[in-house]
Amino acid sequence: MARVVKTQVEFEGRFYDEYVVIEGEDLPAWRADEKFSIVGQSQTRIDGVERVTGAAKFTHDIQLPGMLYGKILRSPHPHARIKSIDTKRAERLPGVRAVLHYQNAPKIPWRMGLTLLFDQTLRYAGDEVACVIADDEEICEDALDLIEVNYEVLPFVLDPVKALEPGAPKVHDSGNLFQGAPEIYERGEIEKGFAEADVIVEGTFRTQVALHNCMETHGSVATWEGESLTIWDSTQHIFGVRDTVAQALKLPKHKVRVRKQYMGGGFGSKNSAGKYAVMAALAAKMTGRPVRVVLDRHEENLAAGNRPSSIQTLKVGAKRDGALTAIYHKSIVNLGAYTAWGGGTTGPTRRLYVCPHIKTEDVCVFTNLGPFSAFRAPGYVEGTFALESMIDELAQKLNLDSLELRLRNYAEIDPATGWPYTTKGLRQAYHRGATLIDWQKRTALKEKDSTDTKKIGFGMASQIWGGSGGPPAYALVKINPDGTAVVITGTQDIGTGTKTALAQVAAETLHFPISLVKVELGDTQLGVYSPLSAGSMTLASVGPAVRVAAEDARKQLMDVASQTLEMPLDELEIDRGEFLNTRTRERIAIKTIFEKLQNFMIIGRGARGPNPEKKSVNTFGAQFAQVEVDTETGRVSVQKIVAVHESGRVINPLAISSQLEGGIIQGLGFALTEQRIVDERFGLVLNGNLEMYKVPTAQDVPEIITEMIDMPDPEVNNLGVKGVGEPPIIPTAGAIANAVADALGRRICELPLTPDRILKALESQ
Amino acid sequence: MKNFQYVNAPDVEDAVSLLQEPGTKAVAGGTDLLTELKERIKMPEILVNLKTISDMKYIREEKDDLRIGALATLSEIELHRMVRERFPILKEAISVTATPQLRNAATLGGNLCQSVRCWYYRHPDVKCWLKDGDMCYAEDGVNSRHAIFGNSTCIAVHPSDLAPALIALDARIRIAGSEVEGELLLEEFFTLPTETHRQSTLLGAADLVTEVIIPHRFGPSNGVYLKAMERATWSFMLVSAAVQLEWKGDRVREARIVLGGVAGKPWRVREAEAMLQGQTLSEGLAQSVGEAAVANAKALKHNAYKIPLARNLVKRGLLELTRRKA
Repeated sequence: MARVVKTQVEFEGRFYDEYVVIEGEDLPAWRADEKFSIVGQSQTRIDGVERVTGAAKFTHDIQLPGMLYGKILRSPHPHARIKSIDTKRAERLPGVRAVLHYQNAPKIPWRMGLTLLFDQTLRYAGDEVACVIADDEEICEDALDLIEVNYEVLPFVLDPVKALEPGAPKVHDSGNLFQGAPEIYERGEIEKGFAEADVIVEGTFRTQVALHNCMETHGSVATWEGESLTIWDSTQHIFGVRDTVAQALKLPKHKVRVRKQYMGGGFGSKNSAGKYAVMAALAAKMTGRPVRVVLDRHEENLAAGNRPSSIQTLKVGAKRDGALTAIYHKSIVNLGAYTAWGGGTTGPTRRLYVCPHIKTEDVCVFTNLGPFSAFRAPGYVEGTFALESMIDELAQKLNLDSLELRLRNYAEIDPATGWPYTTKGLRQAYHRGATLIDWQKRTALKEKDSTDTKKIGFGMASQIWGGSGGPPAYALVKINPDGTAVVITGTQDIGTGTKTALAQVAAETLHFPISLVKVELGDTQLGVYSPLSAGSMTLASVGPAVRVAAEDARKQLMDVASQTLEMPLDELEIDRGEFLNTRTRERIAIKTIFEKLQNFMIIGRGARGPNPEKKSVNTFGAQFAQVEVDTETGRVSVQKIVAVHESGRVINPLAISSQLEGGIIQGLGFALTEQRIVDERFGLVLNGNLEMYKVPTAQDVPEIITEMIDMPDPEVNNLGVKGVGEPPIIPTAGAIANAVADALGRRICELPLTPDRILKALESQ
Repeated sequence: MKNFQYVNAPDVEDAVSLLQEPGTKAVAGGTDLLTELKERIKMPEILVNLKTISDMKYIREEKDDLRIGALATLSEIELHRMVRERFPILKEAISVTATPQLRNAATLGGNLCQSVRCWYYRHPDVKCWLKDGDMCYAEDGVNSRHAIFGNSTCIAVHPSDLAPALIALDARIRIAGSEVEGELLLEEFFTLPTETHRQSTLLGAADLVTEVIIPHRFGPSNGVYLKAMERATWSFMLVSAAVQLEWKGDRVREARIVLGGVAGKPWRVREAEAMLQGQTLSEGLAQSVGEAAVANAKALKHNAYKIPLARNLVKRGLLELTRRKA
């Protein structure tokens, strides 16, 4: 029976109350000592062969008969108004089929109404002006050159501090301050807390704009069959794209089908529909042919979102014994021209440590730069870097080991809500990580291995994040007449191994070998609803529904088998994909029962139950870094990262270690090499390519030691799992920055820690 | 990318005559040119493929020198026995150039003639002086990767790793063409761009590099190439230093110090070289030579770090060669 319940859902560090429909009864959580044969075992990807042989179809690979190509003309100015546009010459070019722009396209509100699909006002260099549809991409490019746009160039502002000054150019009519006011949080009395402090440390920290640089750029292929639209989209949320496109085109939802089988990375930048999807759909309608609009690398780095830059001021007070008395944390965030939400960085400050007096202020500012989008643990990567740097400074001032200082302020219950945690394995992660890096011997190691020009340093940082997942999420498990099973959901595998983990859950529940389980996902028409794959929520949302569906299917299968085989239920079980008569030890193939049943199929249904009430569900971790700083070249090489995290039960240890390594490598790029560079005179991105925007290469990757505190969470859901997608990137930059400060004996408060910054600091010594 | 005609050149003479047609560009490995075509920085109407020229892809050991055809790939040169034995500085320079995949395609001639990496030059929406525009946008812009020596109208730096190493070996270059012809010192082949000749080599539009000649004048293992990058690999240099020494007993008989990433051309620092002549190398001398190497450097707004970096690389290179000798 369907029940409507109100549940608290956490997403990207924010909490929302939602009504959801729960179907049927949830299962009790797997016990902590439950014996498994598939869950908890390292499992290579069930779609690994398709991936490595190239058989896997990504959105970029979709080729439809008669398909046309689209290419977007983008504003060369950071702020301008289109006075007029003349597309006649472009349209006359042979092979050009259509040119969409503000005069001929419907006025479709975009980015929460801050702009239109084709807006006459352009708010950053890269904003969409027109879209050419032609027979191939080269013709599109030639046509773009032939479009004549008469721009009225407007004054612009790039610096968030200047954007708040009176008289600054307005990015939006509603003003440059997001939602008209800073986002302020207070607990206790901040001034009282500083008055009680024996020691106070202060600092200003700056973080850069980081670009996602998904290997597969954003894009869509759209095609119509009559009044029905199908879109292949490189997205983290097929249902979200369906809803946005349906709304934009004023279509009923059932007329829009969104598909995505494989994806080359999203990291938050593909959480919602892109303009390219609607442009492809409109153009496909106009031309009567399939249309592909895929961003190139340059566009990807202008228009597909970014981790915004921040200027963070922190002030931390503590007693002589290390007990925190007050933390003040102000963050100015440069959102660029558009945003979905504030993007503040002070979350970790509110949630990581016990501290009676806290005030945080997030000032999120619109400027004439490329738009903000979620980027793997938005805000928390930047905030953790600043907070954990400050904690290190405090430890130094108190003459305390920084790990000891963290332990002295350990939060046994959630300091922000006063609720207990469902589970918290941070203490174990601290201790295990310290052992693995030999934390207590680090001073001796430093002295032994440092030379005049190569300085060794050690540092650490902590991680807190959500990752509870939650309803609504549904699943079906079908058992075919040949004795195989299919998991059907409306989720998407964004490259994290969702398919494999869901197959493990279903196989374990059905007592099937994993080779007999297929997973179908990534299709709004065939799947049942599942949420977006973001916020470290996919497995913790969809996995429990899959288990319920599999258990439902297993029970039905047993009932049918018992009657067909004329064996009592209590003598029958399923073992490795076959029936086993426990009395006679007879083994019977599952397909035997279906042979008598005219292709009967079993369909199990499952829904994700609600999250526990008045409990905090969080993930935790600690990372430790060992670095070597070359004082002659200013280069930091990370020698070792130890990462120990707690995210509830581990379903697939192999996938988790890969996920941790990926997060750490991305965090390492943020700490050391990655930064968008903009010319302030023109608002132009100068390094929107993979040569000048430096992501780490294989040679930059240090020895990485990962471990999980495998701690099944008895309350979060029936699997005991929490998310792990975002947690591993959160503490990496903080740990590396602390290690660099340790090596140099001084702190550089601005990321990334590039050779020029290091050399500058050393030269000024 | 804009469409173009593609013509295979059967030999050097035909290539040179084909190149005389305006709007024509030569392509060999294509690792640099293709990126410019894709970004529409260059839009030639005709591309002349040089790879069909049969007698330009060789590495030949001769009595007095090693001769390398312009079409030899960086990988072929890197793996060549004599290069590894006698010219480790060149092997080192190639091994830190780009990536193995790029080195398999990139040619010697292309590497020496490549375009600058200045992000204003490479930006499709910026028409800078080097692209026949009116001004250098880096001068008052983000110039953290730019020149500290010889700043002229253009302050982009020459990106080749091979060029400093080859100049340190006293290499010569052979050119076929209409404007320049014959053999000259590689050091003289590179120029700072001028108002009327906006490029970093002497080559005219219809000229081709055909061969590089490395004389056997330095003993083996006497050269080192150090390259500072933002990450461990696959990056153009922030600064690099090619240091080549000829020893006489414990003393330096002759030295070459050529810096990369500091000027519009590979930058040879003769004053610093002269300080080494007849000396035994000590840490103190290495430091002084490093300082002398950057004595005339002038920092722009964002690139002051290059001065200590160049100084330190020279010092490190000299000490490394002393270590290798011992």
